[in-house]
Parts: sequence; C-alpha cells; structure tokens
Amino acid sequence: MKHFIVFIIAIFSGLTFFYFNKQEKSKLNEDQTIKVFASSSFIAKWGPGPELKLAFDRLSNFKVEFVESPDLGMTLQKINFEKENSQADAVLGLDQFDIARTASKIKWRNLQFDFKASVSSDFISQNESILNQDQFVPYDWAPMSFVLRKDLSTEVASLDDLLKPEFKGKLALQDPRTSSPGLQFLAWVFESKSEADAIAFLKKMNSQAHSFSSGWSAAYGLFKNKQADLVFSYVTSPLYHEIEEKDSSFTAIEMKEPLQAQVEFAGIPASCRNCEGAEKFLEFLLSKEAQKIIMNKNYMMPVLDQVKESTLFDALKKYRTNPVKFYDQEIVTKWINLWTEIRKNEN
Amino acid sequence: MLQAYFESIRYVGHLLPISFLRIFLGYYYLDLATKHWRFFQLGNGGLSDLFVEALNKSQLPPWYRVLLSEQVIPHWQIYAFLFIGLQFAVGISYIIGYVVRPVAILAVFLSLNFLALGSVESEVFFKLLIACHVLLAWVGAGRCLGIDYYFFKRRRGVWW
Repeated sequence: MKHFIVFIIAIFSGLTFFYFNKQEKSKLNEDQTIKVFASSSFIAKWGPGPELKLAFDRLSNFKVEFVESPDLGMTLQKINFEKENSQADAVLGLDQFDIARTASKIKWRNLQFDFKASVSSDFISQNESILNQDQFVPYDWAPMSFVLRKDLSTEVASLDDLLKPEFKGKLALQDPRTSSPGLQFLAWVFESKSEADAIAFLKKMNSQAHSFSSGWSAAYGLFKNKQADLVFSYVTSPLYHEIEEKDSSFTAIEMKEPLQAQVEFAGIPASCRNCEGAEKFLEFLLSKEAQKIIMNKNYMMPVLDQVKESTLFDALKKYRTNPVKFYDQEIVTKWINLWTEIRKNEN
Repeated sequence: MLQAYFESIRYVGHLLPISFLRIFLGYYYLDLATKHWRFFQLGNGGLSDLFVEALNKSQLPPWYRVLLSEQVIPHWQIYAFLFIGLQFAVGISYIIGYVVRPVAILAVFLSLNFLALGSVESEVFFKLLIACHVLLAWVGAGRCLGIDYYFFKRRRGVWW
C-alpha cells in the first residue's frame, strides 16, 4: 500500500512540477497573447489563419494564438459552461444559426467598430438588420446554391427541378444536425415553401440525395469524385477551381427562389482575458488587408467595399438572396426535428 | 532488482504472454496521457472536448450529467489534470511492472469513467479494456518482467 501511495504521489508531483514550470515560462507572454478559437480549415496552412496572424503580429504589440476548434457547437457549449474560466478571447466562424443558439447562453462583449460606412453595397443591401447589433462583426459571406459541372445536360432552375428523376441519388447534401450548410439548405426550403410543401419536398428529396454527409467537405468530395452530379455549396466554390486548378467547368446555379447567404461572424465572449487585444484583432479583420487575405484563402466574399475590385470575385454573378437574419432557436429546432422525423421514417 | 526482473521469466514464465499485454497497455496509456497533456497545455481539445461531448450523449445517467455540467466542465482543468495523472500512473506502472495490482484497480475505475463519457461506438473497446485490467490485477501481472517480482519474493502479500 505504501509503495502504491508513494508511486501515485511521485507521478502527480512530477506532473505538477512540469505544469508550473511551463506556466512560469508562458506567463511572461500571456498579457500579449490573444487566444482566438477558429475552425480547423481557417487555421490550416492553406487557410487564412497563418497569413492573418503574420500580418496582425507585424502591425500590433499583441500575438495571436489560434486554438483549433473542430466543432464550433461544442466550443460554444464549453464557453457557456466554463464561464469566467474560459480561455477564449475571440471566437471566429459563427454563423446566423450559432448566434441564435448561443445568444441567450453566452454573454458577448459589445463592440463599437465604425465599419458600416465601408461595407460593400451588395452585402448591405440585403443584410442591414444583422449590422444593427453590436456583439458580432461579420467578416465574410457567400450565397449558397447548388454547384454543378457546366456539361450537365439537365436544366436546374428551381428547387422543384431537383426532384427530376435524372437526379435520383445524385445530390450531395449535408446533415443539418451537424453541418452549417446542411442547416442553410433546410432553412432555404422552409423559407421558400409553405410548411406542408416543404415537408413534402424534403420527403421526396430523401430519394434524390446520394447521402447527407456530416460536413461540407465530405459532401463536396462526393461531387468532386463524380459520385454526385450536384452539391449544395457556396456560389464562390467554382472560383476555387478556376483560380487554384485553372478549371472553369464548374458553376453555381441561380434559382427561381432567392438563395440563402451564409455570413461568418466573429465575437468576443464577455469572459475574455485579453479583451483589448481581441478587440484589436477583430478590428483588424475588418481592414482591407485582412479582408483580402480572407477572400483569397477562404474563398468567401469580403464584407468591405473595394476589396474584391479587379479580382475574379468582382466578376461573379450577383445572386438574389433572402435577407440574412438570426433565426429563433425554436424555429431551427422545429425544422431539424421535422427533418429528423422524415429521415427516420424513410429508413 | 535487475536480477529479479529477468529471473522472473524463469520462475513465473507462464505469465510472460500476460506481461506483453501489460506492457502494450502501458504503452497505450502513456501515449494517451501524452496526447491529453499536449491538449491540456493548449487549453482546449482532448479531455475538455470529451467532457462537453458527453453531455450530448442521451444514455448518460442524469446524476452524471449534473456532475459534468455543474462541476467538471466549469473546472475542467482540475479534472483533466487528475485524469492525465492517473493515465500516466497506469502507463508507467504497466510498463515497468510496479504496483500493477492496485494500479489495475484504479485503471478499472478510469475505464468505467471513459465508458460513461465516450461515444456509443467506443463502449465495446472500454469494456474489453476493463476485462484486461481485471485480468492483470487477478494474475498479478507485474510479477513477470516487472519490479513487482522483486517485492513479491521478499514480502509476499496481495499487493504484488
């Protein structure tokens, strides 16, 4: 027994020593470090994160430390539970649904950034309501539609065209319970049709879908491998192929129904430790330099005017979109439950 | 002690296959603890995500859910530190074969906890792991290729 107790004490003493030794070293830099929680794709070496970090570190006295958040929903849940113990100084990648989901649970810091005058006209025309709040700043956006290869022979001009027999098992969609684009598609259907029509449409869509992937990248992979003819994605996705792969055979379709737009926001939890640094970083995200990096690396539209001038993004077709809004959590939950029920009955 | 370590193969050689299982499990726990320690120092991911993820598990007992949301997650650093410490203890103990019996009992509780926390798919794995820990404790797996043999020879008793 004595041996066992001594052994356990020795292990914990060693661990405590390593912990405090490390803490001592990192304490020196803590005041200058901003912990920014962002998605894996944002901070990956091909994403905008590393370039943004370099540019921001050069301009300010603060140092950005990105913390990978593979599942934003879970990160928000954690911030909610941790309260003042939370380590997050800023959170990136929030969309309209995340904000609705967490607004009542997490306290966010009020931000007073003066950027509305320089917001691009095509963004502000539909989305004024989301700019009339001061807790979250939008930093990129893109309408969402179906992306296909231009040589596809069947015409698609409306949601109902997706039910054509030629598309049976050929649509790559995302699961709205786990994927933000999946939720956007669900919202699009319910926004475009009456509830009864939307339910009937979703029932029929079950046989049209190749699968409901857990995330956007898995669904897009199916499309890229030609296992699916159409994929629900961002209208900017074809630009990626054009710029990175010199392949202009992809296009995003304009539909009869106005499209849903996904807006990505950044916010600062009220429990932030380096609030001043976090504010500076968010302010930097709204600079032309940062907007250009995000546009080029994230393949999303900038929210500021003049950033996309004389780039391929400027030549992109102007899609009609539904006004972006923060949905009530009850409505979103109701839609997801209806979808789950439809899927369950189908199986 | 070193002599006793190798001598054990001659006298309790029938435990040799179990010792390999013990050393492999030790390596597994050490690897897991190192991974969790890295996330722990980053202040995100690893065990902290596991705690939050567990809340979304429908089969979680209500009392455990309350414990997680009220106590564990708000102070996850303390609990993660405890878990990592225990994982290191199991890893080191199994590799060197020291105090294997009591540590195996500790490992059973650790695995039971992960059984409750982890996803449904990992349930079979943790049940198997519990069976392995029980087996190691039962046969006293530290007596072959382990320091426990040295103490067992001198002191006997149930601890070795």
